Amino acid sequence: MHTHLRKVFVCLLCISLLLTACAAPAAPTAAPAPTQPPAQPTAAPAQPTATPAEPCLIVGALYGGPKNDAGYNQAMAGSMAAMAKNIPCVKLIEAENVPDEAGAKTTMENMIRQGARLIFATAFNHQNPAFELSKTYKDVIFEHAGGWMMSDNFANYFGAPPNSWYAMGVAAGSMTKSNKLGFVAAFPLGWTITFINAFTLGARSVNPQAQTIVAYTFSWGDRTKEADTTNSLINQGVDVITMHVDSPSTVIGTAESRGVYSIGFQDLSAQQFAPQYWITGTGYTLGGKITWLTQSVIDKTWKPIFLRCGVKDGCMAIAPFGPKVPKEVQDKTLQAMKDTDDGKIVVFKGPIKDQSGAVKVAEGETLADDKLGSVNWFVEGVVGSPK
Amino acid sequence: MTAAVDRTRRERRLNRRIADAALRYLLMLLLALGLFGVILLLSGKNPLHAYADILRATLGSTYGFSEVLVAMTPMLITAMAVALPSRVGLINVGVEGQLYMGACLATWGALTFIDLPAWALLPLMVLLGMIGGAAWAFVPGYLKAIGLVNETITSLLLNSVAPKVVSFFIFGFWHGPMDTNKTANFVSAARLPTFFGTRVDLSLIFALALLVLFWYVMRYSRWGLEMRAIGGNPQAALRNGIPLKAYQVGIMCLGGAIAGLAGMALVSGYFGLLLANFSSGIGYMGFLISWLSFGDPLGVLLVSFLVSVITTGGNLLQLTQGLPYAAINILLALALYIVLARPTFVRGAK
Amino acid sequence: MTLLAILGIISSAIYSGTSLLYATLGEVVGERAGIVNLGLEGVMLVSAAVGVAVTSRTGNPYLGILAALLAGVLMNLLFGYLVITRKANQLASGLATMFLGFGVSALIGKDVVGVRIAALPRLLLPGLEGLPRVYSSLFRFDILVFLAVPVAILVWWLLFRTRWGLGVRAVGENADIAYASGRNPLWLRYQALLVAGLLSGLAAAHLTIAYTMTWTEYMTGGRGFIAVALVIFSKWHPLRAIAGALIFSAAVALQLALQAAGVQVSPFLLDTLPYVLTILALIAWGGTRRHSAPASLGRVYLGTE
Repeated sequence: MHTHLRKVFVCLLCISLLLTACAAPAAPTAAPAPTQPPAQPTAAPAQPTATPAEPCLIVGALYGGPKNDAGYNQAMAGSMAAMAKNIPCVKLIEAENVPDEAGAKTTMENMIRQGARLIFATAFNHQNPAFELSKTYKDVIFEHAGGWMMSDNFANYFGAPPNSWYAMGVAAGSMTKSNKLGFVAAFPLGWTITFINAFTLGARSVNPQAQTIVAYTFSWGDRTKEADTTNSLINQGVDVITMHVDSPSTVIGTAESRGVYSIGFQDLSAQQFAPQYWITGTGYTLGGKITWLTQSVIDKTWKPIFLRCGVKDGCMAIAPFGPKVPKEVQDKTLQAMKDTDDGKIVVFKGPIKDQSGAVKVAEGETLADDKLGSVNWFVEGVVGSPK
Repeated sequence: MTAAVDRTRRERRLNRRIADAALRYLLMLLLALGLFGVILLLSGKNPLHAYADILRATLGSTYGFSEVLVAMTPMLITAMAVALPSRVGLINVGVEGQLYMGACLATWGALTFIDLPAWALLPLMVLLGMIGGAAWAFVPGYLKAIGLVNETITSLLLNSVAPKVVSFFIFGFWHGPMDTNKTANFVSAARLPTFFGTRVDLSLIFALALLVLFWYVMRYSRWGLEMRAIGGNPQAALRNGIPLKAYQVGIMCLGGAIAGLAGMALVSGYFGLLLANFSSGIGYMGFLISWLSFGDPLGVLLVSFLVSVITTGGNLLQLTQGLPYAAINILLALALYIVLARPTFVRGAK
Repeated sequence: MTLLAILGIISSAIYSGTSLLYATLGEVVGERAGIVNLGLEGVMLVSAAVGVAVTSRTGNPYLGILAALLAGVLMNLLFGYLVITRKANQLASGLATMFLGFGVSALIGKDVVGVRIAALPRLLLPGLEGLPRVYSSLFRFDILVFLAVPVAILVWWLLFRTRWGLGVRAVGENADIAYASGRNPLWLRYQALLVAGLLSGLAAAHLTIAYTMTWTEYMTGGRGFIAVALVIFSKWHPLRAIAGALIFSAAVALQLALQAAGVQVSPFLLDTLPYVLTILALIAWGGTRRHSAPASLGRVYLGTE
């Protein structure tokens, strides 16, 4: 009896292994893909063979989600890949799906033990642990994406999305028929609120009737909640959808399947999810700045600077327009982008009223850049709660 | 004279049994490693390099070893939170939830009494954490004792409630101005002290003390005797005048309190803040560990250590082998499957 | 609240409740045979990953569904081998299956994260062609949504109107008596798990191939556990499961609609609803035994070898 059962067990295991083998496309893509060189096993110092040349610098990059998510993490990984291509002598070691806070420390420590001397921590909740490690490892330089802490060996870099969001708003405001724009947000985070405000100001600059309806998923990457939220917004009559979650794929895909326009954010590749109803999108293209930062570490000229850069500096880009977008909307959008970049339009220049109609930014004043991360009110025209 | 002979014979038999068990588990582990190796081969990785990496990342350096201890600590405590109620026949699947509530209440203490010195604040947080866990375990314990609902079902359901309660407080009241899904960093008085510049903190001592205490109480005290009686045959225990219901509620709460301690240890030691959804199934892991080691303290220690080696080592595999971090769960699950299936390749296995 | 708003909430509830319903039905069948599968979350994850991987490779969502079904069955049989043949503890085996699912799905899904797949086409509910677009767009669903209620009825029929169902329920009540009356408890439990695997596969297939149309790690987000709660809430009955799944998903849809109206009901407290309601219902019913919980649920059948 027992041997018989064992055979069954072995058979089942074999089937499951086969299934793994088939479904994990016999792993041809697991081998080095052109865009994302995975960490090579040669990292192990136990293997003396196959190290062609000593790398000039080992760079560690950690992402909070999967690096091919067509969203934030892909944008971050894409800029790392661009850097690795620009500076061939750099060896890049990457880790994806790294847990938040203390959990990320283990990964960073392991990277440092693999020889990394420059670490890019790209997730919001990796700032704390990276900063703490920077106190222990004075010879390692830490760069955080979008943070605010600074020290001798800790700095941060990021795109400056508010201007692009204003332009996205212009596009959305021009395209909507129902005057209802939907915004799927992960959290009522200060920066997210700033994006929503910029988007709404842009939309109302061309269409004073436009409203932005905001709904939260309360997670950076809960696909089911994202689909729930998108459907809920569409059912309320929204005809343009945009989002601030890690991966726009589900939101845009859902909008497309229901024949609703979408505007992408995070990574430009999001366009693939909406061949029909795509308006445009904006995403991070930080490859140039990452290359520059890395080169400065190699040249030993690195200094801690608080780096923010926009479309003009090549840190953000506007995606191509979709097939249904008329020429004049395209022109208007690009003009808005250019004007905000040139300073002809200042997005958060007063007078700006909040939802209740109270003046938040007075005539002639401007909301300071360092306040944008902790905004806790919505501008007039946003429907939803900033909490 | 005969007593001495008896003792040596008994010891020899015991040693033999331990050796048998060790051999059995070693073979099971090898089988799991072999199967996982096949999976690695199929996905184009070299299993030998992978295993070498795991060993190097865990037992190859003091740092690696310290990280194993860090990972092991909450597992030890949560396993105790399951092992204790299991001695009276109660199945506490609710450790995950109790851990969250412990963390929640301890965090409330840390955020409220920021002016207290560490010697007062830390014990207070321990107490609050244990109260939180115990309160969460009281519901299933009480419902079981009055014969209404099975404790397995209630404790399992409450597991899904607790993380949401924690999120409710974080998002609603405790987050900082720039954050949403976590509290501000705790003041240093609310942090458990760490040792030798590693992340190993005082909670490891708590955990080991708990293990010893558990072993001693079960073995030498009247409570232990009574608990074993209840676990063996509750009806007979009741007839012998053991207060069955009081034991059921009390032990369940005590298990919950231990789980709450694990939660407190995580926020005060490992994280230093409260993060929404911070536990990735540590409570469930504790259940499995306790179950695999039959609630035996030494077994809990061994199994927790092995599991920690696997999970800690898995972190490096991503850097060196390009393997998704979650894939290490396969090795873990394979090992669990094999132990659960109790293969018959060794004499003495059942 | 306008008619459109109410219809919108109903539409959302139906759409997101479908995968919950399938998952709950699967767990109902398993538990009716006396087997608790806490690993449902892991089973669904593997099905989902396989479904997306196959859909992405073949470009055919129906093949994806088929693969998801197979994966669900395979995972359930693996779990069944432990709890039926090897007579292992069901809770521990379920949790082990959950961890296995985490790992296996991550490995299988690694290369299809962020990949666009051919989603199931949406069809308009027959008879609604004449409605204006705002309304008709609320009732365009994929085939799996339309099949959900018929499948629930089919499961009910199987369990309560066939000899096979009688056997399964008999095994779940008391395997020894079932054995004495000429049934093979082990074999029946395997069959029940097979059916449960198919249904979990359907749940995962709807979730990924139709609903989110993408794959990511841990994407089921606790739906397996919600289903375990809903099984109890619906008193182990396939038809009540329809109501259970709908009530919960309607609550989520209502919360989202209120959010967009500027009314913030804590989504976290709302998410506790299925569990709290289930516990309250259990207390109100006076415990598990007073109402149709399979008597030997979770108990290992040691058999008569």
